Order: sequence, then structure tokens, then C-alpha cells
Amino acid sequence: MNLQYLNWKIYFENPAEAEPDEWFKVFSTWIPDAPEIFIDVADYKHVPDGPVTLLVGHYVNYSLDATGRSLGLLYDYKHPMDGSDEEKIRASLQGILRVAKRLEEDAGFTHKPKFKAGSLRFIVNSRAAAPNTPQTLEAVKPDLIKVLAKAFGEGGFDLEHLTDPRQRFSVQVTAKGSPVLAEVLKRLG
Amino acid sequence: MPSTRNKQGRCYIYPTMKDLDLVSSESAQHWKKTLSDRLDPKWREDIDNFETDIVLKKKGKIEDRVFAETRLRMGAYGQRYDNGHRHDGNESRTIPFPTDLNKGPETKWDAPGMERIKLPWGGMSADQLDVMAELAEEYSDSILHITTRQDIQLHYIHIENCPSMFRRLAAVNITTREACGNSVRNVTACPIAGVCREEAFDITGYANAVFKYLLGHPDVQDFGRKFKIALSGCKHNPCGLTNIHDLGLTAVARPRPDGTVARGFEYVVGGGLGAVTYDAKLFSDFVPEEEVLALTQATCRVYARLGEKKKRHRARIKFLVADMGIDKFREAVLEERAKLPNDPRWTDFLATLPKFEEKPLRAAGKGIPKTNDAMFDFWCLTNVYPQKQDGFVTVTITLPMGDITSNQARALSDVARKYVKDTMRTTVEQNIVMRWVSEADLYNVYNDLKAIDLAEPGAASIVDITACPGTDTCKLGVSSSRGLAAELRTRLAVKFVEMDEAVRNLRIKVSGCFNSCGQQHIADIGFYGISRNVAGYIVPHFQMVLGGQFTNNGGSYGLATGGIASKAIPGVVDKLLDMYLHGKQKGEIFRAWVERTGKGVIMQSIADVAAVPAYDKDKSYYTDWGSVREYNVKDKGMGECAGEVVSLTEFGLKAADREIFDAQLKYDAGDIQAAGDKAYKAMLLAAQGLIKMFNIDISDDPERVMAEFRERFYDSKLFFDPIAGPTYANFYFGGHDERNAKLDKEKAGRRLKEAQIFLEACHNCNLRMSMGANKGKEGILAKPDAKA
Ligand code: HEM
Ligand code: SF4
Repeated sequence: MNLQYLNWKIYFENPAEAEPDEWFKVFSTWIPDAPEIFIDVADYKHVPDGPVTLLVGHYVNYSLDATGRSLGLLYDYKHPMDGSDEEKIRASLQGILRVAKRLEEDAGFTHKPKFKAGSLRFIVNSRAAAPNTPQTLEAVKPDLIKVLAKAFGEGGFDLEHLTDPRQRFSVQVTAKGSPVLAEVLKRLG
Repeated sequence: MPSTRNKQGRCYIYPTMKDLDLVSSESAQHWKKTLSDRLDPKWREDIDNFETDIVLKKKGKIEDRVFAETRLRMGAYGQRYDNGHRHDGNESRTIPFPTDLNKGPETKWDAPGMERIKLPWGGMSADQLDVMAELAEEYSDSILHITTRQDIQLHYIHIENCPSMFRRLAAVNITTREACGNSVRNVTACPIAGVCREEAFDITGYANAVFKYLLGHPDVQDFGRKFKIALSGCKHNPCGLTNIHDLGLTAVARPRPDGTVARGFEYVVGGGLGAVTYDAKLFSDFVPEEEVLALTQATCRVYARLGEKKKRHRARIKFLVADMGIDKFREAVLEERAKLPNDPRWTDFLATLPKFEEKPLRAAGKGIPKTNDAMFDFWCLTNVYPQKQDGFVTVTITLPMGDITSNQARALSDVARKYVKDTMRTTVEQNIVMRWVSEADLYNVYNDLKAIDLAEPGAASIVDITACPGTDTCKLGVSSSRGLAAELRTRLAVKFVEMDEAVRNLRIKVSGCFNSCGQQHIADIGFYGISRNVAGYIVPHFQMVLGGQFTNNGGSYGLATGGIASKAIPGVVDKLLDMYLHGKQKGEIFRAWVERTGKGVIMQSIADVAAVPAYDKDKSYYTDWGSVREYNVKDKGMGECAGEVVSLTEFGLKAADREIFDAQLKYDAGDIQAAGDKAYKAMLLAAQGLIKMFNIDISDDPERVMAEFRERFYDSKLFFDPIAGPTYANFYFGGHDERNAKLDKEKAGRRLKEAQIFLEACHNCNLRMSMGANKGKEGILAKPDAKA
């Protein structure tokens, strides 16, 4: 397989505290001097079941996201990546966890976000690259498990394939116990 | 993980394949492979050509402005910050896009852009909506935005994803061709056509015929600006907005002496919003249905021939009609009409009209269900329209600022599948209607919509605010139209249920600048973005436009009343509504109240709420709605609404370049004969392109093209190179004589090289002529043949 357009979503410990306007402000402060290429922040708090506050980047979009009606941070990698599937999965997982950590530490928040490092969704944002089928699951699973084993330990997590054929290929990842974000990141290398 | 440095020396920390290779990514190839056979051959060719243009542009083979107009004609617009700069509130910063390539003058290749998806008469099926939801997820930001001309737009798209998007759309019969650029834009029509209680007849099939006939038609490729057409089923309701269009067609049913009814249209031209509003002029009070396409074609030809091409701000047809006067304009069009050779399509479509008659999925109801649900009753009051067909209603799904998310869109298409056939349409008020809902199902429909947050009441009311993209994504935006609209909507919604009906039914529309994409001129209360200097600070403002008329097809325009700081507007609106409610006479509409009260009194009465506090007292006034940056107007860029004026010759030469590129690929792949054939075709296209300077109707017949090329360019010596003289033309002549010959590798290779040189010479000839270097050129060009 050649996995591309990888997305991850990480859920909140404290979703009720998320304030879209604060996220808007914080994301806006990230644009100047960023090592990444950021373009703008978009406000979609008027619509449900989708993005709420979106930091648009060239390579990656980050958003406070309510798709599926549960709030989290979405990491959406938009360009083809190099490397093996395992490397791409790992790089993107590191990507979202780093941003989650940065958000937790950002002084711009009055209502500081706190993420559940063990509650993630893996999405392939391309129906061409990864149709939402059992075959895709079989193909993706070994690499996904390898990366998650690094993050949460061998057998330290459950996977659930979300099978709605109209949705993109998605797997819900639930780690056992309450892993700490910084440690998960460290384990991923 | 590899880390890469871009030109500015900045490090971007993500691993990527080749930065510019989205267009040939595996995903893109997948869609090309799996969908190409299913597409309309013409549409497939358009998309394949566009894909080749992308490749050629990346190789530096197409000029920025030619590529800009090419993509605009495929609906791919620029977006704010695409010149590579963004002001952070203190200073303007460079956005370090990875490449230096442009996709238009001052438009960076990598900058995300907007894609406009054309929905003729707003019609869409559940399957089409599903596909658009998928595209929004995969290439945009999971938001579908309904526009004020019944289109759907997706934002933040990388240009190289466009071919895949186009293929996926074309597979469900949607095109983006001519959604932007100097072309015939979406043909709009009343969203309740066919179910309306007051229409003369259902105009859907006619709107579709106009769309189909003009799409890609050679006579609409040479406009100086855009051309917008709308159809309306009646004169007095707002739905079609014919008065504000370049061409407006309003259905008229005329009884004949024998008791039958003749169908036709009131035909108006030259209306328009924009900075300077124009009322459409009556061209004819009755154009019979069988004549409508022919007359439209003649109108387009006159506009292409006589409309302004250089001064863009004077290039819309409204200026031509105003300058010529409607009588002279009519004369010119009728003269043109008389010369047009008959086209069977002018009337063939009449036989297809019954196809547009919709059928319900479910049996008719017997009245709206009685419930104890007060919110349902209220929603019925504002969002439900009883159709002329007993037992059925049309339901409006109100969308805040025209936005709907991918998940909501998919869920909505499920609701549609459950209760109606493919009878959804978008509206100019940025909503969606679902027609043919059985009254018996209405409460269930309401509950199903409520479950996906799509059962908001207030359609076509004061909370249903229209807004253009404004500073959120538009390069020309001055103030935040969406930010203001969102704020007003939130505040007014709180009081909505208790509002007096006279106030509740007012309409608010907001544009980010004077271009009026949000149609503020036809709102009771309209705003367009301006900036004002207050004690040395630039402060976001809106010009307030009062008393426009949405009824009577956008019957009259509002009066500019005065500039108001963005942040003061909610207070001003409250005050205005209060003044109207308490000051209006019985039955007095808002416009009449405004006129009676007078601009001066109104401005005086709101002066206290409109005042701007000093910077050190309240800084919030110095930041726009929906922004955290201190306000400035530095992010404004060059808009692309005018498109680039690219001549038919330039388009012809581009097609030739594409052909020679393909020829080279064929040659490299060992397909020798095809390479040689294509090399000849490239020369033919280039010659045809040059001829279009004089005769836009030149046919595709190789003999005709050769004969005209000889006469106009060779015998006249216009083509002769200052140094090489006629040499390069001989390559074309030779290729023409041997065009049916069997070629070996050597001959094909030679023809390829000769074709390349001939194309180069054609480009040079065009350049010389456009600079006026050829004596006598003006004389010839000033009198293009009316019709070959
Ligand atoms: C000189 C430049 C422009 C002028 C004069 C202009 C004018 C207009 C007018 C008058 C309308 C709507 C009313 C109607 O005809 O029904 C319209 C529609 C629209 N405009 Fe513009 N516009 C310009 C540039 C832009 C730009 C740069 C954008 C931002 C990308 C934009 C976005 C829109 C949108 C989203 C619509 C609804 C469109 C549709 O679906 O066709 N416009 N424009
Ligand atoms: S009205 Fe102005 S700001 Fe709004 S979309 Fe049109 S050009 Fe842009």
C-alpha cells in the first residue's frame, strides 16, 4: 500500500471548556514566524459536525474539530509524503501529538486544552488511496499496530474499524490506562 | 525525518514527496483511470486539457495571465493571501510557499484557492451532494458554501487537485466550466420553479437549455467580462432576480385567440449590481420560446463584438447597453439574429421539457400535521411553502452564511432520499430547498432535519442574512462581511421569535466591498465594506444601504446612507429596527419609511450608537469582526472577478501548445504516426488561432483554415518573420499537403520540429500584431467579419 493524506484526531479530557474564539486567537499567533507554512485561520463555529476553528497550512491543516459531533484536535496532512507506510503513520502521529502538546502549553489559553493521549482516530483522507473496506483494514493494520505498539506498548490499545462505507477509512484507537502525552511522544522517538 | 529548506531558507519540518506532484499522485491517477470512460467526451477533453495545461504551466510554457484565465474558466479562483503576503496586524509578512511558480499574475502556485462548482438553476441530486461532500472533505476543509448565484464553492484547494475534483464531479454530471472568468456564468432560476403557485410556467427546462446551449459555445468565448443570466417564473416575486442580471428572462404565458397559450419571455438586458447599479432595460416584452436561444446567442455575439475589452470597469454589457441606448442595442442584436444560420438546438430542447416535470416520491398529504410542538409550528411559518400541487410543500433548509459541513450534507441527502426524489435546489439566499415533501411527512422531515441541526426557522427573514466571502477568503474584501453577518445573526436570533412581523420579514445582506457579491443593493438593510480614517487609525466600516427591494425580481436598489464602523453596526441595526417599528405608518414598507423619514434624520438618530470611541478608550473598534489582528487594508490584492482578457488567438495558440506537447509524448512513447498527426494538428490549431483575430467563426475544416491562413497571413505578409520571411509558413504548408501520409520515425520527428518552429512563429506573429507592428493591422482588425 502507499498510504497518503493521513489524518489523526485526538480527543479532549475537557471538551466542554474549549472556546473557539480562544483557539482562533491562539492559532493566529502561530502564523508569523512559524517553521511551518501557515496561511490563515478560518472560523466555522456557526456549523455543527465539522471544523470549528481551522488553521490552514500548506502541508498540514490543524483544527478544533467537531466532526462526528465529538470535539478534538484534527491533524490533516494534505500532501503526498515520502517513506514507508510505517514511517508515514509514525511521522503523522508524532505530528499531531507535538501539536497537542504545544496547545496544552500555549499561554494564550484561559481554558487550557487537555488531551487524552490514549484516545485517537486514524483517518486516511483519500477514498482513492484507502477505500473504507475490510481489505484496506487488513492492509493498514500491521503498520498501524507497529506504530501504536511503540506508542502504547505491545497490546496496550484496542482498535475499532469504523465501517460506514460513505465515510473515509477510519480506525478508532483506544489505549489501555491513561497514557501521558509527553511519554507517548518520547516512546515514538 | 528529512527536513527541507525552501527558498527563503526556512525549514519546513514535514516530509513530502515531490512538492508539485499532486497532479500525478496515485490518487489522481486512480480517478483518471476509473472515471475517464464514464465522462461526457467533451467534458473529459476539457479536463484532460486542463491537466495538460497544469503540466505545461509548471514547465513555464504558458504565460501567467493566459493560465489565470484558463483556470478561471474552469472555476478555479484565487483566494486572499495568494500573492504570498499576509499582514499579521503589525507588518506584512511573506508566506514562504515552497515554489516561485505563479498560477496567474501575482498569484502563487501553492497558494490555496477557491473552486466554484456550477449548479445550473441550483438543481442538485442526493448523489451529487454526496460527491460534493466527499470533495469538500478530501480537497477542501469539509465545508460546502452556497453562493448568491446558486453555486457551491469549496475553499483552500490546491490547483493540482482540480483535475481529480473535476473528474469526480463530471462523473455525476456536474461541470465547473465557465463558473468564473470572462464567460457565461451559472444560469440561475427560481428555486421553486415548477411548484410555485404564481408562476406563468415552469422555467426549469428553459434555464437548462440556456445553460447547455451556451456552455463552451464558440460565441461566448470572447467576452471582455462575465455574463450572468437569470430566469424567473413571474415578475413580482424575488426568486429569479432578473432585473439585476446581464440578461433576464421572465416567463410570460400569452393566451392565443384559439384559447391555447403561447409561452415566451420578457427579455431584459443590462441590469447589474457591482459598484454602479443598473436596472435592466426592456428589450422585448415577449420573445417566443422557440426564439429564446437564438436571440440569446445573437445578444452574446453583439456583446463579444462591441463590448469593451480593454477598460474592465466598463466591460459589462450594462455599459454597452447604456452607451448605445436600448433601441440601438436592440437593432444590432436583431440584425445579428437575422444573420445567424439556423441551429436545430434552438428548438430541439422544447421536446425535452417534460423531462423536467418532477414527480413526488410519496403520496400527497392532507394538511400539515397538528402537533404540540411550537417550534415546529414556527418553522412551518417561515420555512415551509405550500406548493401549487395539493398536499405537497417545499421546505427551506436555512444555512448560516450559506455553509454546510460534509457530514451534514451527506445526512441531508439521506433525508432527501427518504422523502423526495432528486428535487433539491440551492437558492440565491444561500439556502437549500427540498421540494415535493408530502404534508403527511412534514413533521418527520422536520425532526430528521433537526437531528442534523438543519431545522432552523427564519428562512427569508431578518436572521437569514446573506453574505459574500469578504475578507475571509476574497482578495478584494475590505471589511469582514461574514464576521458582521455572523454577529448580526446571533444577536437577532435571540429576539427573533418575539419580533414584530414587519421587522421579522426584513432582509439584511452584506458585501465585503462595493462589488456587491452579497447583493446588498436589493436588501432592506444592506452593507458593503469600506475603510475610514479615524484620528489617524484605519477603522473597518460598512456603507449602509437602505430600502432596496428584493421583490419584483430585485425591483429597485437601496440608497447609500452613510459609513458606519463595523463594530457599531449591531447597535445601529437595533436602533433602526426600533425606529421603523415605532415610526412606520400602517402597512408602510421599510423602503417607504426610509424615503419618508429621510437619510439626514436617520443618520442623526443613530449618531450616538454609531460613534467610534478613541483608540485608547476602546481598541475593539479598530479590529474587524472575526479577526484578532488590528485592522489594515494591506491584505487586499488584485481581484480576479474580471478575469484576464485573453484573446481567442491566445487560447488557440495555447491549444496548439498542448497538442505539440502531446505529440512529443506520443513520439517518446514510440507512437510515431500519432505523433506526426498531432504535430500537424498543432499547426492547424495555431493557424486557426491566428485567423480568429479576423474571423471568430473560422471552421475546423483543414482546407478552410489553410485557405484563410494563406489569404490573411501569407498573401498579406502579416506572418512573415522580419528575418526569416515566409520560411516558417512553409512548414505548415508542407505538413498540410502530407497530412494523410504514413510517417516513419524520421519524418515524424522532422514534422514535430517543424511544427514547433511554426508554433513559435505564430506566437511571434501574434506578439507583433498585438503591438501594432504590422502596418494596416488596425484597419483589418477594426472590421472583423460579422459571420463567415
Ligand atoms: C471586480 C470584481 C467583482 C465584481 C464586480 C463582482 C460582482 C459580483 C456580483 C454583483 C455578484 C452577485 C450578484 C449577482 O450577479 O447575482 C457576484 C457574485 C459573487 N461573487 Fe463577485 N464580484 C467581483 C469579484 C469577486 C471576487 C474576487 C470574489 C471572491 C472570491 C467574488 C465572490 C463572489 C461570489 C462567491 C459570488 C456568488 C457567485 C456565484 O456563484 O456566481 N467576487 N459578484
Ligand atoms: S463583494 Fe467584494 S469582498 Fe465580497 S466577494 Fe465580492 S469582491 Fe469580494
